[in-house]
Amino acid sequence: MTDTAASSRAVTDAAPPAYVRDVDPRRTLADRVEQLYSQLPLGIAGTVVVGVVAAFELRAGRYADLVALWGALVFAISAARLTLYVAWRRRAGRGSDPEQWLRWLGIGALASGVTWGFAAAVFFPSHADEQQVFLALLLTGAMAGGISMYAASWPMYAAYAAGIAVPFTYVLATFGNRLFTEIALLVPAFYAVSVGIAWRLNEVFDSGYRLRHAYRRLADDNAELNRRLQQQLTELAEARRQVEASGRKLALFAERSPIAVLELDPQGRIREINRAAELLFGYTPAELAGEHAKKLILPKYHVEFDAQWHRLLETREPLARLKLRNPRRDGIAIVCEWTVTPLVNPAGETVAVIAQGRDVTQELEAERLKKEFTSTLSHELRTPLTSIIGSLQLINSGIMGEPEKDVLELTTVAERNAQRLLDLINDILDIEKIESGKLALAPQTLALDEVLHEALVLNRAFGERYRVRFEMRGEPPPAQVRADRKRLLQVLTNLLSNAAKFSPEGGTVEVSMERVGSRARVGVHDRGPGIPENFRARVFSRFAQAESALTRQKGGTGLGLAICKRLIELMNGTIGFADREGGGTSFYFELPVLEAPTARAA
Amino acid sequence: MPSRPLNRILYVEDEEDIRRIARLALERFGKFTVEVVGDPLAAMDAIAAFGPDLVLLDWMMPGMDGPTLFRRMKEDERTRNLPVVFMTAKASAVELNELKQFGAAGTISKPFAPKELPEQLRAIWEALPD
Repeated sequence: MTDTAASSRAVTDAAPPAYVRDVDPRRTLADRVEQLYSQLPLGIAGTVVVGVVAAFELRAGRYADLVALWGALVFAISAARLTLYVAWRRRAGRGSDPEQWLRWLGIGALASGVTWGFAAAVFFPSHADEQQVFLALLLTGAMAGGISMYAASWPMYAAYAAGIAVPFTYVLATFGNRLFTEIALLVPAFYAVSVGIAWRLNEVFDSGYRLRHAYRRLADDNAELNRRLQQQLTELAEARRQVEASGRKLALFAERSPIAVLELDPQGRIREINRAAELLFGYTPAELAGEHAKKLILPKYHVEFDAQWHRLLETREPLARLKLRNPRRDGIAIVCEWTVTPLVNPAGETVAVIAQGRDVTQELEAERLKKEFTSTLSHELRTPLTSIIGSLQLINSGIMGEPEKDVLELTTVAERNAQRLLDLINDILDIEKIESGKLALAPQTLALDEVLHEALVLNRAFGERYRVRFEMRGEPPPAQVRADRKRLLQVLTNLLSNAAKFSPEGGTVEVSMERVGSRARVGVHDRGPGIPENFRARVFSRFAQAESALTRQKGGTGLGLAICKRLIELMNGTIGFADREGGGTSFYFELPVLEAPTARAA
Repeated sequence: MPSRPLNRILYVEDEEDIRRIARLALERFGKFTVEVVGDPLAAMDAIAAFGPDLVLLDWMMPGMDGPTLFRRMKEDERTRNLPVVFMTAKASAVELNELKQFGAAGTISKPFAPKELPEQLRAIWEALPD
């Protein structure tokens, strides 16, 4: 008894793990119902057997009819309980309400207990001593046997046993016999102990159920974990396959790449080279394996290489566009442009360095030739032109004596064409500078209206040559812009000279300026023949000139507007043109205006 | 603006033709007294001998380029204060600015217009401090 209590307390009181604690109480209830019902057939069989024996034993008394009635009652209740059992078996596990099944069973248990109580109340006083002993044994047996039957639900057992104990105690107490009165005191005690045992067993069962469910859950969780693990293993295998595939692809890229690829160890020794490197330097991979990369670098670059290598390992930042002179196997040095990338593992260690090199020897040579050509164009062509133009200007000015009319005509033609050649050279140099990104603007804050006036003054003489007047349309509003003064004048000169060239003799070229939102818009308007439809798309292209007798006659390099467009764009502006109402063309450009035009540049 | 007008000009230029044209332009249009020097290495002596008001220097010359000669002049106390104008075909705005900071009185871009050369030089001269 004490052992049972201690062990059941151990099961129930020890702080249970979460798995056990968190079991859904509905699940334990279902388990309880399951157990109670599974013992029901045994209980019914016991009741029937004992009932038959009791009925046979008691039939000889005075109340044979009552015994028969009692026997029938036992059978009827047993049959009802059997029906309940069968019904339960059919419905079990289909989500039926376990509390309802428990209630039915409880009613059955109470009815069963009451039939025994009925036997005690009716047959005990009416029978002889031997049968009284038999009945007492029978009743205590029924009470004791009920413990194992109903232990899964102690209240059910309490109801069942009370059905027996209450009438039995009453009969014993009122019999008028001292021994029976004493026994009447013992029956409730026996009842109390039995219920206590049932209660303890109930708890043991309860923790048993919980353990069972916890185990199931653990098993389920374990199965789920296994399934996930399996899935991850599958995925890992797939990932590995993909990594291997892309590794093979990369290796293939490196192998077939036209760029020389070298794998170096962190000490700078060569591990592997690709086919392009083999062809570029003339060494086989085996010849270079284990050699220091310096073998492929001219000695005078070794100091720089060491410095760069040190920095590479220090910062682990890739180096790009590193130009080095690299000797080939045949001794000829080529210039290569290298991209050097350290490979760093997750632990932060540099495990390898990949160097990718491209032979740029010819590119550099081409660049040098271009520079040389530009320089030659700039100096060697302009110097003689300076002499030619200077001489012709001196002659044409008349200061050396008035030349003959025919001679003057020819020297004027010569001067004009020499000037044209100079313009072409200047334009070519300009466009070359702009397109190679070498044109450095000197932006300053300018009063655009003042620059406009200056341009008109500077170009007046040119206009006179074509008998064209430049005129300001109204007074321009003050506007400060950020621009290169000289280059802005160059743009204006280009637009004005174009307009003058294409204007009819005696005509006027109008210059306008207005504010358009946050920008200033400058327009140059002529009354020329307009721009032919098929030329409009190419107006700002290099060497663009409309195909006409007029353009050939007027000369020009065809670079002026291309230069204007690029210069204006470098100053964050836009340039364009439109037909002018009443004939002619309007060229315009817009520049962003600096706000707060308070202090005008002096 | 200097108190006296510009009169004596010395021009250092290796190209003979350009020397000749510049001399004609300065003498005929500008009515200046002009001395030209073809060899930049002989320029220092020529400056000492001629005593110009202003020196016109070509930028690119074999033997010694304009800037080097300019530095020599700055080192010599006899020529230190002479205004120097550079003639250059390298006419980018940035480079011209550099020259000004260098201490040049002005720059004239090549090719120059003979008729306008005297006026350009007079304008530079008049912009000089006393």
